[in-house]
Amino acid sequence: MAMITIAGKQVEVDEDGFIQDPEIWDEELAKGIAPLEEVNELTEDHWKVVRYIREYYLRTGVAPMIRMLCKNSGFTLKQIYELFPTGPAKGACKIAGLPKPTGCV
Amino acid sequence: MAGVATAKKVRIKDISRPGDEPLMFMNKDELMRACGITEEPAIEPTPQRFIDKYEMSLDGHCNIGIPKPKTKEEEDFFVRRFLSGLEKLFTAGDSWTFQQVLRLSFDYCVKCQTCSDTCHSYLASGRQEIYRPTYRSEILRRIWKKYFTPEGKLLGRFVGADVDVNWRTVTRLAELGHRCTLCRRCAQRCPMGVDNAIIARELRKLFSQELGIAPIEIVEKGCVQHLRVGSSTGMNPPGLKDAVAFMEEDIGDRIGKKFKVHVDKKGADILLIHNAGEFLSWPENPEAFAILFEAAGISWTLSSEPVGYDAVNYGLWNDDVELARVAVRHTQIAKDLGVKKVVIGECGHATKAYVVIADRVLTGQMSSSEVPRESCLPLLWEIIRSGAIKFDPSRNNFPVTLHDPCNMVRAMGIVKPQRLALKAIAPQFREMAPNSVYNYCCGGGSGYAIIQSFNFPQWRNKIGARMKMHQTLEAFKDELDPNKHPFKYLCAPCSNCKGTIRDAITHYGLWDKYNLNYGGLVELMVNAMVDIDRPFIEYEDFH
Repeated sequence: MAMITIAGKQVEVDEDGFIQDPEIWDEELAKGIAPLEEVNELTEDHWKVVRYIREYYLRTGVAPMIRMLCKNSGFTLKQIYELFPTGPAKGACKIAGLPKPTGCV
Repeated sequence: MAGVATAKKVRIKDISRPGDEPLMFMNKDELMRACGITEEPAIEPTPQRFIDKYEMSLDGHCNIGIPKPKTKEEEDFFVRRFLSGLEKLFTAGDSWTFQQVLRLSFDYCVKCQTCSDTCHSYLASGRQEIYRPTYRSEILRRIWKKYFTPEGKLLGRFVGADVDVNWRTVTRLAELGHRCTLCRRCAQRCPMGVDNAIIARELRKLFSQELGIAPIEIVEKGCVQHLRVGSSTGMNPPGLKDAVAFMEEDIGDRIGKKFKVHVDKKGADILLIHNAGEFLSWPENPEAFAILFEAAGISWTLSSEPVGYDAVNYGLWNDDVELARVAVRHTQIAKDLGVKKVVIGECGHATKAYVVIADRVLTGQMSSSEVPRESCLPLLWEIIRSGAIKFDPSRNNFPVTLHDPCNMVRAMGIVKPQRLALKAIAPQFREMAPNSVYNYCCGGGSGYAIIQSFNFPQWRNKIGARMKMHQTLEAFKDELDPNKHPFKYLCAPCSNCKGTIRDAITHYGLWDKYNLNYGGLVELMVNAMVDIDRPFIEYEDFH
């Protein structure tokens, strides 16, 4: 584990840059993580995806499955990759403050 | 220096060598040549930030991440604890589950090295000494001799008791315990019946139970999270209910008719437990099960109880205590529902853990004689054989080959049902070689599929999964032209295998290059159902 400074906050992240404590996430932190995942500016479309993932995670303990994300956010998988070049599982989930996925996923 | 080929001949006692220098580091010129893989991503040297902080001195890779010790006391504690743990492994009151086979394997190896060429990792690495199945075992044997036998204590290296135990020995051994996928192909070939995989597994148990050392994905985020929130994926019961609602909706979209997926239905004949990773990464798999069971008129249910909707049991690979805890929950849930039996979905380790191994740790009311349990594969063949559903094999008119999950096939002997099924529904099915109980591991066995920490994925892709990709492309060698068929299908009825295969196909670019896709058995079955007027398998979908 390592400590890094994002948006003026000392944050503990794992070796792949996922934040360790999902509770400390806020929108400022998301803005700080975004450039690390090749997203220069979080537009309203980005927020739509990030908020959906975040809300889903808080309720269920996991990220939504990809097809569910597409259906419920209204974006195609291609559009999601355009928004988050490092992908939904890595980029979007990291910006939404989720821990690294576990289990046989 | 990491990243540069090191001396190939590594000796047993090198395991105790001081310093960060790895015993070897994979070398592209030495890796086994694989059919159809002409170019591949370069080998990344070990990042310095890992070397600075963690034990990386086995082979420049790690999956546990043991921090460097800060004090001499810490080092000494570690060594003492390892030795006392080793003694416990051979003490009946402390460790009885696999003790007999462990002891026999310890005592009867004649070092003929027949096992070496059976190991996919040893072969794929270009026959690197440290991946030889006997390398790890012989180190442990010599340590045992030196510290726990009168002749070893007295005569030391004169009787082959020449391995020093220091912090490096112990931490390298911890990593070395995690360079074997526990596929047991070596045990199958041993003329003496020695099982080097059980030695690796018990070594892992020593580290997990005595020192709290295991890959984070297997124990802390695996077994412990499984028991705490309900699933190793982190999915809680509301998450399962969401996944089921999605399945129902998605089934409607895919086959044009909707039905209710049974959850917690008391008195159903069968409790079906999937590896929960299927709901999240391959929802079409549990959907296909639901479609088949409904169409065949089977009385079945899923469970939404914590642990009851995730069949995995990662304790199988590292920890008897966690293994027992999970198996007890599965049995309790089945009893509460009053089902006649439990069927495990397409997941190899979960099947072996619950159908076979659980009986080694649990008896009486928790045993399989109380709650019968089985693999899904015979039932799937029975659905075809009985004629309960009509299939049109021409719907699957693309090349198909089969991967045999080690836990179900080599370890449990379930060989024919999946073959009979494929012969009935996939006209272009062909075997890979070798196959059935002689198969090679996918490279993700014993949890490697899910270990994404540090630089371990590089080891898994380059060495672990190399043989499986080679075998698969060999099976399709006359069909590699991507324009010939929309895709080629590697049928792997196991979640762990699928995860490994997905990552390896991506690593080597085999979807882009050859249209090589993969998936389970049930998806192929639903794809061939006469009553469904559209394809279930989506041609352009690789995920």
